[in-house]
Amino acid sequence: MAWRFLKFKLIYPVVLLLFLFVDGDLMASMGPIFTHFPLHILPTLTLIWLFYAIQFEATNLGPYWVYVVGIGLLFDIYYTGFIGTYTVAYLASTVLMYQLRSFFDERMMSGLLLFLIGLVTYLVVTYVTGFIINIADISLTSFLTFEVLPTAVLNLALAALGYYPTWSFFQKLS
Amino acid sequence: MRKLFSSRTLVTIIVALFIIVGLIAGSNWWAKRTNQPPFFQRFANDLAGGVSRIIAAPTNAIGHSANSFASLMSTFSENRKLKAQIDGYAQNKVRLQTVEAENASLKKQLKLKSTLTDYQTIAAATISRSPTTWQSQLVIDKGAQAGLKKGMPVLAGSGIIGRITEVNTVNAKVALISDTSEDANRFAVTLKSSTGDVNGIISDYDSETNRLVMGQVTATNDIKKGDVVQTSGLGGVIPAGLFVGTVNQVVPDDYGLSKKIYITPAADLSNITSVLVAVSQMGN
Repeated sequence: MAWRFLKFKLIYPVVLLLFLFVDGDLMASMGPIFTHFPLHILPTLTLIWLFYAIQFEATNLGPYWVYVVGIGLLFDIYYTGFIGTYTVAYLASTVLMYQLRSFFDERMMSGLLLFLIGLVTYLVVTYVTGFIINIADISLTSFLTFEVLPTAVLNLALAALGYYPTWSFFQKLS
Repeated sequence: MRKLFSSRTLVTIIVALFIIVGLIAGSNWWAKRTNQPPFFQRFANDLAGGVSRIIAAPTNAIGHSANSFASLMSTFSENRKLKAQIDGYAQNKVRLQTVEAENASLKKQLKLKSTLTDYQTIAAATISRSPTTWQSQLVIDKGAQAGLKKGMPVLAGSGIIGRITEVNTVNAKVALISDTSEDANRFAVTLKSSTGDVNGIISDYDSETNRLVMGQVTATNDIKKGDVVQTSGLGGVIPAGLFVGTVNQVVPDDYGLSKKIYITPAADLSNITSVLVAVSQMGN
């Protein structure tokens, strides 16, 4: 039993940290596709990994909320230099997915719908905070068309690809 | 009815929101007023940069392969076009070398140490790009150790792509000109029109059309589409003569008193694998 918790506490944050960097690396290396004007597609493997823990009910296996805040802070420090925006975005998204989890079941489509809600929340929070620090200049229509929509398509596909392997992995942990 | 959040949770959320808004605004204010981030932030950035560099190897390889394949498809027509241009470049290179030598000799005679056009470059590779909604930032693998300072201009491809916004020990952040934050793309420029130079400042970036905006231009020069825009060197940090882009459109401003010039950036901001940081020699 103790080993199960230890395994989660070891593996989960390491993969989370790894995905934080992979997101940035993907953004740089796949730039010609992801940032080809007017598109602005964000890979959110970090958020997908946080979603899996909620969907497969593994949040009680370790200090999940510490991981959420920690990864948000690191994201802010490393990628933006301003503390707060992505800490809030990760927290808002995961708290909402966690609260809504009981209304959904374990089927993949149901899980992906839950993730879509979380992803849109994450993107909307970052959009709104852009207004707080006065850097937002894209209309809501452009934001929805060129960022939210393609980002949702990419990340839903990635979340679907990893759904069953991760489910199997979490089964082994529990 | 089932409640999503208890009253206590709601109060906690509201208090947390106030703290977070304060944190966002405060750290934004702090970042603009300091040349280097605090020690903890610098340490975390250096460590994260190291890890990211290792992880970047396979993803960069995949990205480079995809880019190479895309380039291969257009190689034949591109090669024919480039061959036609290359003779002209060879002639220009010889002329540039002669002019540079003449310029150095004249400077020596005038006892000029260095001017606005003198700069050296530091090459750096892109480690990462922020997967964020607003701040278009790159993390590059050179920092304070290589002599980088906040505000230095960064070049890639054929023109300027942004400026350094944060310098850590072994890496630095570059805000791209497409970054919508206040000072990412504010630099002094000169527009080379057929009837003379027009000086001004890049005042904005139009995210909807991917164009830089040079506002408040009162000059009566004949500005045409395709006119070259380069940095003017005024201000001292950014050297003169860095290619910014070409004029795309000239429109009168809202009151009809001045002109607003839209500029197509010279650099491709979507594909940046390596960069050059331009270090002005003024004051050395």
